[in-house]
Amino acid sequence: MSGKMCSGSNSIIQAQKLVDQLQIEAGMERFKISLTAADLVQYCQEHRRSDPLLTGISASSNPFKDKKTCVLL
Amino acid sequence: FVSVSCCPSKMACQGLQKGETLASLKKESESLKKKLEEERGKLNDVELHQVAEKVEAVAALSLKTRRVLKGHGNKVLCMDWCKDKRRLVSSSQDGKVIVWDAFTLNKEHGVTLPCTWVMACAYAPSGCAVACGGLDNKCSVVPLSLDRNENLAAKKKSVAMHTNYLSGCSFTNSDMQLLTSSGDGTCALWDVESGQLLQSFHGHTADVLSLDLAPSETGNTFVSGGSDMKANVWDMRSGQNIQSFESHESDINCVKYYPSGDAFASASDDATCRFYDLRADREVAVYQKDSIIFGASTVDFSLSGRLLFAGYNDYTINVWDVLKGTRVSILFGHENRISRVRVSPDGAALCSASWDSSLRIWA
Repeated sequence: MSGKMCSGSNSIIQAQKLVDQLQIEAGMERFKISLTAADLVQYCQEHRRSDPLLTGISASSNPFKDKKTCVLL
Repeated sequence: FVSVSCCPSKMACQGLQKGETLASLKKESESLKKKLEEERGKLNDVELHQVAEKVEAVAALSLKTRRVLKGHGNKVLCMDWCKDKRRLVSSSQDGKVIVWDAFTLNKEHGVTLPCTWVMACAYAPSGCAVACGGLDNKCSVVPLSLDRNENLAAKKKSVAMHTNYLSGCSFTNSDMQLLTSSGDGTCALWDVESGQLLQSFHGHTADVLSLDLAPSETGNTFVSGGSDMKANVWDMRSGQNIQSFESHESDINCVKYYPSGDAFASASDDATCRFYDLRADREVAVYQKDSIIFGASTVDFSLSGRLLFAGYNDYTINVWDVLKGTRVSILFGHENRISRVRVSPDGAALCSASWDSSLRIWA
């Protein structure tokens, strides 16, 4: 920064950056929640059978669950 | 789709050339902020739980502690699963980083870092290394040796350098790049081999406390959350902040993408967790209860995205129905704050790390 610039120019640069940032965000294409939420729900529904914590899986397929022990007669 | 966008004023561009004053720039940003609020408001035609009204309720969960991992001498601050679904890495206030086999409880590797408060750790995608760091302001990569007698600390390599503590780290989709978040207010992308800074991300106005990479199918973005109460979405290549969300009333401690990549959740000191839809560009759910008054420190989704596991400073883990906004379960067991929860890569288990020095596996 040149020594000739006044100290106020720093805050102007910050303010300009904020305006630039807001313009980028303002220019974004957005969609209605009724549509986007439907997609979120659909994703959950499509994957629900492959979600072990949701559906619960048997002890024999879950390595962390204790299996019933065998007894040798 | 019906889309709504707004055209930025041309005046701001012309103004700069004429030597725009501070006052008029401030006015411009205020009017843009207002416009953004209006545009986001127009899309708020329905609530998420209304769209989910016809969805079946979640059946009662029978999650129990299946393993308790004891070995750290002090608060466990972070953990991460290995892609092999059985190993995990954890880091602690006592400076130790431990790699465990969660099936057998075997401690496979241990490294002691010269700093205390190792706040972040991550497993490399290959499973051959871990990254860690904290109060040393660095993120180091430690290759995991098959030789148990080898001193891992000697092979530790500093990759990231920040000017304040490391709060989070994550490998990108390979062992070659590391993404970090820091108390210095920035996030950064590093080349692991050379230690070179590839991109830095500026925009937060206080400590960045958490980051999460978008699922690989959705492209090169990541989300960060911080003490400035903001969650920011970034383009990894350009360094640009592409979306910003400011609805929490206190520090955002953790951010995590929904598995489809179209949304993310956050956990905050304001005792709520929130859900943000990226295409509608707004918050679409708040997970809260009058009885929950302690800060939420960590969140993660189950594989389908239906359940949100959230760890709190009151030592509990609340399980939320993401779509309906209700709590479906509370997991008790830890004897101090929860610092991290992570669902295993195959979705079969949840790991929680706590200030009580232990980790628990729930299934």
